[in-house]
Amino acid sequence: MSVSVRGLKVDLGGVEIVHGVDLTIGDGERVGLIGASGSGKSMIAKALLGLLPQGASLCGGISMGDAAILGSASGEGNGGDSAPASYADERTLADLRGRYVGTVFQNPARALNPVMTVARQIALPLRLHYDLTASERAERVRAMLGKVGLSDDVLNKRPHELSGGQRQRVGIATALITSPRFIIADEPTTALDSITQRQIVDLLVSLVDDAGASMLFITHDFAVLSRATTRCYVLDEGRIVESGNTADLLAAPETAPARELVTAARRLTLHAGDTSRADEGGVAQS
Amino acid sequence: MAVTKPTPARRARVILDTMWSSGTGRYALVVLALWALVALVSLFWTPLPLLATDGYHVWAAPSADHWLGTDGTGADVLSWLMAGSRTNLVIAGLTVIGSAALGLLLVGLMVARSTALASVSVAVVDALISIPTVLIALLLAVPFGASAAVVVGACSIAYGLNLARVARPAALLAARSQYVESARANGAGGLRVLVQHIVPNITPVLAVQLSMSAGTSVLAEAGLTYLGVGVGAGVPSWGHSLSTSVKLINVFPLTVLWPGLVVTLVVIALNLFGDALRDAGDPVANPLLREA
Repeated sequence: MSVSVRGLKVDLGGVEIVHGVDLTIGDGERVGLIGASGSGKSMIAKALLGLLPQGASLCGGISMGDAAILGSASGEGNGGDSAPASYADERTLADLRGRYVGTVFQNPARALNPVMTVARQIALPLRLHYDLTASERAERVRAMLGKVGLSDDVLNKRPHELSGGQRQRVGIATALITSPRFIIADEPTTALDSITQRQIVDLLVSLVDDAGASMLFITHDFAVLSRATTRCYVLDEGRIVESGNTADLLAAPETAPARELVTAARRLTLHAGDTSRADEGGVAQS
Repeated sequence: MAVTKPTPARRARVILDTMWSSGTGRYALVVLALWALVALVSLFWTPLPLLATDGYHVWAAPSADHWLGTDGTGADVLSWLMAGSRTNLVIAGLTVIGSAALGLLLVGLMVARSTALASVSVAVVDALISIPTVLIALLLAVPFGASAAVVVGACSIAYGLNLARVARPAALLAARSQYVESARANGAGGLRVLVQHIVPNITPVLAVQLSMSAGTSVLAEAGLTYLGVGVGAGVPSWGHSLSTSVKLINVFPLTVLWPGLVVTLVVIALNLFGDALRDAGDPVANPLLREA
């Protein structure tokens, strides 16, 4: 499903957090949104889902497939439009969420209901959107569990009995159980160790590609982004400052915020050995 | 490896077993089971009919004919206590249902996403909670007269407000949690979020508060009946047994002792039941429940 965000502005309590963001995601495309903490990435994700905090005011437009989910009365938000925009009715949004748009959250330890078993957790979107019998639901849950690499043993477990990686696999299974056409992955690897990060990214990418869905992958880590996406947008203080092919951007970032993120990724992950040796040299010289 | 499907019956069994394994839980279960059994038996049998009086043996001490003695009218104290257990059981049960319904409705409003609705609800609950249960009962007794329904109504309103106020912080934490955000991102509406995600996560608070409501309803019934706004005259209840004998407590203390003892034992059992249920019913705290 293609997604288009035009001139999105988000104002929270009189403070503008997102300043006219334009963003497009093609059908079946994996696009990244990268930025430092506090740059407004999660606000954009929430705006896409229509789940911004009460009192938030918006301008601009958002459309998913043929459906306009945010638009102003004067038009559908055409970038320069500063008229207040409003969402489609709650029923339309609720039908979209979970059914056509799946969301993978940042911290699986918090995003899973602590008293709900894995089986009920994964079946949640099915219960909400499809009229299936209990056995049909159970069958689909088992099949999805297999796809994310978990055995049936975890079905009756609760989140605190699972490891971080297992929890995120449950989160991915919940997001993908209804075969949504668009996935929002909001920093899905931030709370995980580096080995699990890689496994989760690879799993998510393969599942999204198999389903032919499109994905917006939000992160602050270029190393993760380069594995997950083909194209990306760099967000800085609520503005898109650079966009393009992820590999090209990683190789030659043009703007200062992008350069900073790329340098950080290289220092921390890509060339950690070189950096540590350089640091040791620096210390020895001083 | 075969996976055992959890069933409500299996979960209930594990919860009961866990409660039974602790001394306080065992006490609570025994007393409450006895209460229910006596209430059931009293439907078919009491040692003497309630209206049977013996004018020659008023305020009699316990004997073979009257195991717990007689009251000022010569009626059998045990028979009235047995029949009274039925009334108190119904009052306690209906109070739990009423206060849970009102309390959860108010909790839902107090943690609503609309800040205006939440603020107004909090202010209303804070204002109403200052009205004592006795005053609510007196107000209800004006149009409805003294009856068990007045006790249930007054207790449900007072304890429902109390429940909402006590459960609000836990409910607010759940309502602002990421798992509720995740449920909304999956398309869950407000009512489903409340019922499936917020309420299950505040059950420890609810278990304690509702069992306390049941216990306090027993005390309230006794107090309100003594004041004349509780159960009607001639209706057996523990409050009725207390109020008929308390006037001569200095002369015949034994007749007050029995209903007082029953009320005390049951109220303690209900309070301990809530604590035991909270610990046994929490899948995070009770590893046995996770395997059920």
